[in-house]
Amino acid sequence: MAGTARDPLLPTHWFNILHDRPQYVATALSRSQLAGLEDMAGHGLQLQQPLSLARQSLNTANRFIPIPDEVLDLYAQYRPTPLRRAVRLEERLGVNAHIYYKYEGANLVGSHKLNTALAQTYYYARAGVKRMATGTGAGQWGTALAYACQIMGLECTVFWVRSTLRQKPIRGDLMRLFGADVHESPSDLTEVGRRAFKEDPTGIGTLAVATGEGLAFAAEHSETRFAIGSGENSVLLHQTVIGQEAVAQMDQLGEFPDCVIACMGAGSNFGGVALPVLGAAKDRGRSVRLVAVESAACPKLTRGRYRYDLSDALGTTPITKVYSLGSTYVPPPVYAGGLRHHSAGPLCSAMYADGSLEAMAIDQQTSFRAGMLFCETEGILPAPESAHAVAGMIDVASRHPRQEAPLAVLVNISGNGLLDLAAYHRFAAGEIEPVAVDEASLSRSLGALEEFNQRIAQPAETT
Amino acid sequence: MASGGAVMAIGDSSKAVIRSDLDGSQAKSLVFDALTAVIPGLKAEAVDERQELYADLGIDSLRFAQLLVELEGRLNVELVDEDLMTIEFVNVVDLIDLVERISLSAEK
Repeated sequence: MAGTARDPLLPTHWFNILHDRPQYVATALSRSQLAGLEDMAGHGLQLQQPLSLARQSLNTANRFIPIPDEVLDLYAQYRPTPLRRAVRLEERLGVNAHIYYKYEGANLVGSHKLNTALAQTYYYARAGVKRMATGTGAGQWGTALAYACQIMGLECTVFWVRSTLRQKPIRGDLMRLFGADVHESPSDLTEVGRRAFKEDPTGIGTLAVATGEGLAFAAEHSETRFAIGSGENSVLLHQTVIGQEAVAQMDQLGEFPDCVIACMGAGSNFGGVALPVLGAAKDRGRSVRLVAVESAACPKLTRGRYRYDLSDALGTTPITKVYSLGSTYVPPPVYAGGLRHHSAGPLCSAMYADGSLEAMAIDQQTSFRAGMLFCETEGILPAPESAHAVAGMIDVASRHPRQEAPLAVLVNISGNGLLDLAAYHRFAAGEIEPVAVDEASLSRSLGALEEFNQRIAQPAETT
Repeated sequence: MASGGAVMAIGDSSKAVIRSDLDGSQAKSLVFDALTAVIPGLKAEAVDERQELYADLGIDSLRFAQLLVELEGRLNVELVDEDLMTIEFVNVVDLIDLVERISLSAEK
């Protein structure tokens, strides 16, 4: 049922970086290296996600992976997304740069998360799953999954980090409009949530706890599975429609990015825009600079360590090697809830480790200032997460020497900030104080991370 | 294992040989080979079909998916998601049982 004509610029395949760089597949620690497994006798293994998705995360053979027809029809309703040159912003900044931005915030749910939500729910529905459970930070992922579940006829349960939910309760209304059950995390519905409350009575919540609650909920309910909004290779793969479109759109304008900039939560919007550009640069025998912008309140790349770590508070997910602040770090409740995850995903971590990407940490006030300027000059209010990317882009563009050829910059505006108006209002009213890293929490968390890694006798690195 | 029926698979026609109807000992050695391929440092002689995948071999969800993809590769088939999602695997023998029960569907 093709309801919408497909634009020729809409990619028919996802771009798979693992073909070009198979070393990024995964580095996971065997559970046999952990103590306590003898207590787990009789524990059965069940596929947590359809093998179709696992194959995508492990595939090193195919550079392009076909997008199922059903998913393409849904993409066609909102893709290709706009690519524009930020001419007024360039003039205002007086920079020697051509600034292009890709805008992923114009669809109904408001962000790039829809690209993977539709793909994942398609595979889960086809595999016979009836309900999806998840954890969400900023709420963009929860909204996208709720909508995708409604389209695919699945039920949806969302655990949403309390600090963010309280900042923008109206986004919860949007999730509920799409039929989702929405719970504040930490909640008293799961053991992980109850434990988190004990450890942090303020209960502001973290993405690690919300994710752990989603996992626990899925394990305790039949025909229910947990879906993740970022970090995994397959999720980054689904997002590569962004970068492929951007390359084709810039081609039409006779440009190719010298530099790609996106914010970094766990890596899906960053990977989505950057990886296809990296592939295209390889094809064209040129280089491209990739810059990941993180929140200064959660500086997993610039201050984290490349270690084996848990990605959630439940502790049942694979133990992968990532840049991390430790899974018990509680970042201050900044408005960019999507950037509060304690670690980058394994793929982007491996890229940072081998020097394929640069990282920059931006504080909350700088990002809001950049977001306001972007709104004023380009008529788009970026989500607080995307505003970090704008701030990073302004920094990069401003440093480019005047005597050189203009720098072609591509920045991804991953979502809109229309449901973050209260935060922008508070910033404009001067009510938002600078927020720094919680040094005490960070030091405890990094200590626990090092201890965990010391307990592992001989890490076995596998592909 | 929770499910006893046949497990459907789609043959990969781009590959020359499609393995099917394996007997018990062939299935066993195929599973042992797949296990040693995905678990670093594991020797085939150390594998026993009564061993538990999680408690004894430390296989987590990521490695479990790797294992199934490895088996697919060795069988030149693509397993069907819907059949696999509800099966619970505890011991190595459950995997051998799976391989024996794989039947090729003519059409997707």
